Amino acid sequence: MSVSTAAREPNVFARIVRHRADYLYIAPALGVMLLVIGYPIYDTIYLSFFNTPPSLAMADKIFVGTDNYVRILTSEAFLDVTINTLIWTAFSTFFAFALGLGAALALDRQFVGRGLLRGILLIPYVISAVAAAYIWRWLYHSDFGVIGALAVASGITDRPINFLDNVDTSLPSLIVVNVWKEFSFAMIMMLAGLQTVPEQLHRAAQVDGAGVFQRFWHITMPHLKGVTLVTVLLLLVANLNSFTIPWIMTAGGPAGSSDIWITAIYQLAFERIRFGVASAYSVILFVVMMSMGYFYVRALTGKDEATPG
Amino acid sequence: MRARVHGDRGWGIARVVFLALLTLFTLLPMVWMLLTSMKTQFAASQYPPEWWPRNVTFEQYFILLSPANETGREFLRYMFNSLWVSFATTVLSVMVAVPAAYAFSRFRFPGRNLLFYSVLLRNMFPAVVFLMPLFILMRWLHLVNTELSLILTYLTFGLPLSIWLLKGFYDNIPAQLEQAARIDGATRFQAFIQIVMPLSSPGIIATAIYSFILAWNEYVYALTFLNDKSKLTLPVGLQRFFTEYTTNWPGLMAASFITSVPVVVLFLVLQKYFVRALTEGAVKA
Repeated sequence: MSVSTAAREPNVFARIVRHRADYLYIAPALGVMLLVIGYPIYDTIYLSFFNTPPSLAMADKIFVGTDNYVRILTSEAFLDVTINTLIWTAFSTFFAFALGLGAALALDRQFVGRGLLRGILLIPYVISAVAAAYIWRWLYHSDFGVIGALAVASGITDRPINFLDNVDTSLPSLIVVNVWKEFSFAMIMMLAGLQTVPEQLHRAAQVDGAGVFQRFWHITMPHLKGVTLVTVLLLLVANLNSFTIPWIMTAGGPAGSSDIWITAIYQLAFERIRFGVASAYSVILFVVMMSMGYFYVRALTGKDEATPG
Repeated sequence: MRARVHGDRGWGIARVVFLALLTLFTLLPMVWMLLTSMKTQFAASQYPPEWWPRNVTFEQYFILLSPANETGREFLRYMFNSLWVSFATTVLSVMVAVPAAYAFSRFRFPGRNLLFYSVLLRNMFPAVVFLMPLFILMRWLHLVNTELSLILTYLTFGLPLSIWLLKGFYDNIPAQLEQAARIDGATRFQAFIQIVMPLSSPGIIATAIYSFILAWNEYVYALTFLNDKSKLTLPVGLQRFFTEYTTNWPGLMAASFITSVPVVVLFLVLQKYFVRALTEGAVKA
């Protein structure tokens, strides 16, 4: 329990015993994480090999091997939902990051009201996604929605647009809401990253005649590599897992046009009460997420030279 | 030289225009929420819309916040539940994260790195993937329909970031400070309370506000774990409100506004701590 131990005991068990009191400090955190994370991981994988009864009387479940996986991967809907998921994740991440980076670069300078402006831009990120979803449902409303009315008033269309009940516009409309909600997360991450760029380098480059764009590309960007990686990964994961906005706004509809993995899993589990299939679906998502998790931890722990020094 | 200065000025204008557009994009939806909440139901259902409410009314706010009617009683109940769940989550998060972060920073026990990174990996795990097994677990523990099921779950959302953030603080507090206190006769615990805790209070505030906002806004677990009307938290209550009064958009916008106010106020007052909570890991690592 010493503050730092340089000496190496030969035996790991001896070291564990010697440090036994240390584990008391992390026991509450580990305990709750094991209960709420460790056990669910195990149970999800386990259930994915079973056919579960709708009554959720788990004693009656039937082992079906990999049937659930085969059924999901070969179903026609899976391809459509996967394409939607890719579109949703890729576009949300790209636009949230691009707007966030732009905002960060624009805010990376002292001016009056900078703190206030940063605060205002962050409001969508801190409010409840449920409130955000209802605000936008109202903006998109097919009869009284202000966006449709503005489109008519400015002569873009001759009648209000039905954003959410149309298979062509539902997914893009949701992506706009998602970008609105999360771009400022990318903004503060990149803003924090910009603080690590040495001011002198910019000065020196300016004296040497480098333009704004050259300075951005050759000085700013190399310093932002690490934080960019972490931000993009966190956005990708958040978007792969976003449930509230798609669920409240369209619940996957119309005709599955805005259905993504997460909403499909939720429907399978809690509307059709098929926990087995839904678990298999979760495991697939989980594998994708774990591979991203690998890069996330690598980026955070600096085992990658891309991390800012 | 002149050409370059001119070029920079061009960028300066682009910057201002971009920020102005982005601010409009951010604010206009919320402005429309506020304007709608101050209209009558009839005025809100007009085409083309009333751009500015002709008869401003706070009727919806009175209904929602008055215990004198059924809707108000329900809404206040949801708000109280949300406050209680968020508050309990916040206090527990700090109590669990502080010792863990301290141990990860100060002690060199076997498995330290492995455990630390597995805690961090939690950030990679989505809510919905855990929903089914946790639902089964909570049923088994007889916790379905209790606030405790939510508090336990929310605790793990905030913990990884809290531990990461606080560990950063403890890493920066010299161990000699504690050693000096201990030479003066303080126990390790006293040294921790009197020296380390005060120095890490910005980290604790950041941790607390982050946990609170997460818990206040959470929706999926609250939707799944609770079905007793009197136990619902605000996000689920909002949805329930919507299914009951589908066409009452002013009421729904007022409810959305009231739901957002506590976190926005908390966030604006403690902005620098919250920003720190979010960015610390990515930049310092």
